[in-house]
Amino acid sequence: MTLQLATPPRHASPKRARPGRRMSRFDLRGMPYLLVSPYFLLFAVFGIFPLLYTFWLSLYDAELAGDREFAGLSNYAKLIVDADFWNAVFNTVGIFVPATVPQIILALLLANALNKRLRGRLFWRLGVLLPMVTSVVAVAVVFSQLYSRDYGLFNWILGLVGIEPIAWQNEKWSSWIAIATMVDWRWTGYNAIILLAAMQTIPKDLYEAAAIDGASPRRQFWQITLPMLRPTIVFVVFISTIGGLTLFTEPVMFEGEQIMTGGTTGQYQTVAMFIVEQAFRGSFQIGYASAAAWLLFVLILFGTMINYWFTRRIGGAR
Amino acid sequence: MTNHKRRLAVSGLLVAALAAVTAACGNAETPAADSASDAPAEPVTINVHTFGGGENFGYDAAVEKWNAENPNIQIKYSNLTDRFEDVFLPQLLQRLQAGSGAGDIVGIDEGAMGLMAARPQFFLDLGEYGLQDRKADFPAAKWEAGINADGKLFALGTDIGGMTMCYRKDLFEKAGLPTDREEVAALWPTWDAYLEAGKKFSAADTGAKWMDGPNTIYNVILSQEAPKNGNVSYFSKDNQLVLESNPAVKTAFDWVQKFSQEGLTAKLQAFSPPWNKAIKGGDFATMGCPSWMLGVISGAAGDENKGNWDVAAVPGGSGNWGGSWLAVPKQTKHPKEAAEVLNYLTGKEGHVAAFKEAGAFPSSLPAQQDPEVADLKNEYFNDVPTGKIFSDSVKDLQPVFLGEKHAQVKTAVEKVLEGMDQGAVGYDEAWTKFVEAGVKAAG
Amino acid sequence: MITRQPVNRLWDAGALTKVVLTVALLLSAYPVYYMFIMATRTNDDALDTPPPMLPGGNLGENVERLLSTEDAYFLTGLVNSAIVATTVTVSVVLISTLAGFAFAKLRFRGSKILLGTILVTMMVPLQQMGIVPLYELMVTLGWTGKLQAVILPFLVNGFGVFMMTQYASQAVPDELVEAARVDGASTLGIYRRVILPALRPGMAVLALLVFMQTWNEFMWPLIVLLPENPVVQTSIAALNQAHGTDYVMLFTGTAASVLPLFVVFVLFGRQIVGGLMEGAVKA
Repeated sequence: MTLQLATPPRHASPKRARPGRRMSRFDLRGMPYLLVSPYFLLFAVFGIFPLLYTFWLSLYDAELAGDREFAGLSNYAKLIVDADFWNAVFNTVGIFVPATVPQIILALLLANALNKRLRGRLFWRLGVLLPMVTSVVAVAVVFSQLYSRDYGLFNWILGLVGIEPIAWQNEKWSSWIAIATMVDWRWTGYNAIILLAAMQTIPKDLYEAAAIDGASPRRQFWQITLPMLRPTIVFVVFISTIGGLTLFTEPVMFEGEQIMTGGTTGQYQTVAMFIVEQAFRGSFQIGYASAAAWLLFVLILFGTMINYWFTRRIGGAR
Repeated sequence: MTNHKRRLAVSGLLVAALAAVTAACGNAETPAADSASDAPAEPVTINVHTFGGGENFGYDAAVEKWNAENPNIQIKYSNLTDRFEDVFLPQLLQRLQAGSGAGDIVGIDEGAMGLMAARPQFFLDLGEYGLQDRKADFPAAKWEAGINADGKLFALGTDIGGMTMCYRKDLFEKAGLPTDREEVAALWPTWDAYLEAGKKFSAADTGAKWMDGPNTIYNVILSQEAPKNGNVSYFSKDNQLVLESNPAVKTAFDWVQKFSQEGLTAKLQAFSPPWNKAIKGGDFATMGCPSWMLGVISGAAGDENKGNWDVAAVPGGSGNWGGSWLAVPKQTKHPKEAAEVLNYLTGKEGHVAAFKEAGAFPSSLPAQQDPEVADLKNEYFNDVPTGKIFSDSVKDLQPVFLGEKHAQVKTAVEKVLEGMDQGAVGYDEAWTKFVEAGVKAAG
Repeated sequence: MITRQPVNRLWDAGALTKVVLTVALLLSAYPVYYMFIMATRTNDDALDTPPPMLPGGNLGENVERLLSTEDAYFLTGLVNSAIVATTVTVSVVLISTLAGFAFAKLRFRGSKILLGTILVTMMVPLQQMGIVPLYELMVTLGWTGKLQAVILPFLVNGFGVFMMTQYASQAVPDELVEAARVDGASTLGIYRRVILPALRPGMAVLALLVFMQTWNEFMWPLIVLLPENPVVQTSIAALNQAHGTDYVMLFTGTAASVLPLFVVFVLFGRQIVGGLMEGAVKA
């Protein structure tokens, strides 16, 4: 890689008086800690403290601006049997799959296409990055309009092939698809660029050798590109998993109002929405919401482990 | 590289410049505070925050009168939002907890009075400012609801709902139905008759639906049935959830389901922008009307619809839906003045003015008995004698107990009704889901 | 010696490739295009099916209506978003370069553990998990409804530290740091004279990413801010809730919220692409 260096000053570096021994010892030993301290200080206050407090709060029966009573693990016990919580989990996973799998596959295809000899590469690359540069709420509003039952573009297109207009917010499957398309639209280009970058580091001779052996472009893709992309794919899947399991903005805007129920019977309420609804809208139960937040964390751990196991197998058998 | 540095610097300047310019514009946009008279002393501004659609609390005229007569205390009246449960209430709680940002006087809907009464730390003790003496003005239940967990007076009543049925005169004519309000009332002495009238209307194919959606009719019927069932709604008087066992709830639910199944509704959710639009556009012909709904309609339908809406007696008899209170958050910087203004707005003058402007029927006895109220005719609604109609409607009204989590349960179960009406919830599973949602919300 | 080499068709941009790319581009652009078209139209046009494809002439009145919708505080939202995003960006870049330098180029005890902690905590969604305590913390500090409440939690950006660490370890040769030491420079001096200049391209990309990410934050501002002091995202959400049927005004707002990001994109597009690609390799 090219090194970006500032040209060193032309004049000889001024001979500074050697700093005293104590100062230089601190400078060598202590300075690093000082340099990382801003991050860790902020992290302690706005990262660790909230996490610990969430756990502590989850042990209480507490209402917003109200009383709190110690309740032990009863919040967790109630959550485990709470149909609405599991509904939210179900929705979250249900949206996550169509929001991530097609996205990554499409990103791979796009990256592959962008990797070819093309004129105006920057134009194409910027073009697919366009969705990422939009404001997320704005896009959710646009898509919700496109999915409107009476005036939306999608129902109009479906009408052209004779399908009845769908009330997208009404069913699980339709609302999941609608929301997933918003997420896919937004992130596919970005992931494509990331994958493209990784593709470009694959040595060309590998491909040439395969071509000489008579491998078709498709075979080259499966045998060379994919396996070498594995670390990057793992990374991309990892980031997408966290984003997908904490999905909030798109489903909230799909509902239109900020009531957080995710549809009239929670058709598309995600776990993040469930937490907000419990704490700040419907019931103002902050203890219960905190317990749900910890279960969300467990869910994320679970999800990332499964994904890691899954993506390790890409291009495994050679 | 210098290029980068320059780019970053330029863009940094651009952002700063943009921010500065828009900030300046933004400041210029801020509406000037109500300019007080040229009294040398700084007048105290009392912010009144209310909620609701259309004309909502109806204080414009009352505020104008006060401001003209009281240069030292100026009222600034703002209606923050149409929606109480999911917008006004969470924001109010947030402001109360933060200790700043709440109005000097805030409106509270009946559904959240239990919640607020349980949080005395947030409100001013109005008794300390002499408002204890207002007790005789209010019916017992309206007064009691304003006493908080510490036994202190924290809120005084504004309006009381009563019940009528509003209808679109022009659409009735188009459909060949009678338009005179006595005849219309005769059209539907019972809910069965109302259903039949609805079917007749639908058959006439005017392009409009019979009613707006599930929320309003549900609350109307619930408020009628509650008195027949011990004056309780979702909670019994010892705060136990009786959602499933209270026949009042089931009856109201069943009627909504029937209307929905017959296709009589416009599938709208109350107090939403599409609902406002439909009121204006005449997309439905009837709607349950407690007194304050008249103001909602006149506000949403606008001047061009004056005379198109009219009021008739409601099927099934009297009931009470809605009614609010005003309270003073403790964080106010002007407790004495706020208490004074609150006293005025909930006094006879304030109540009468609100009734004239928004149709909100007074909850205080002196105002109800005032001839101005008793003889009032509402111009917007074809000079219907609202004073007389609502006086009759609230006579003998028993207060319905609402419970601390009433607002939460109400929101949750009405969501299911909307889902049922719009097709997201099947009719056969709707009751189960309805109960589930209510139980969940009660915590 | 020239051996017969078959032409590797892998690199040809055939018709299929061109179709795929064109379709991708159209799909990417359409929702944005739709937004801008709607901002120039009237509400009657908005309800046409199929939706209009050409601009109309109503932009001016839509903007006027948007700015006069008091309960949305749109202009305030735009300004606030700019302030918050800029502050967070500058701070995060600063903090990340400081920490990245230390992790990448300095030896100190516990550095591996600390770096590992950062990586682990990147997996924890701080906003969703800590939302209630963060809110209570803001209540205690008296910052609810104020911009501080929205700025500070976002300064915790593990990804920024991680990215700068990677970048620094690859973009700054150890010899350069050694040489500066020999010359007698203090650690801070090295930071200023050697590290910062070397990190500049990476900083630019990080800055752009953080700016965009912060501009798009929704959940936390929704909870902690109040309507009269919004960020642009919550302002649009409020517009949608209270005036959802005034579609064209709503879209004018959404278009306006996207415009600043666009400007950034147009000015720095090449860098974004370049930086993403470099960054991805280093990851």
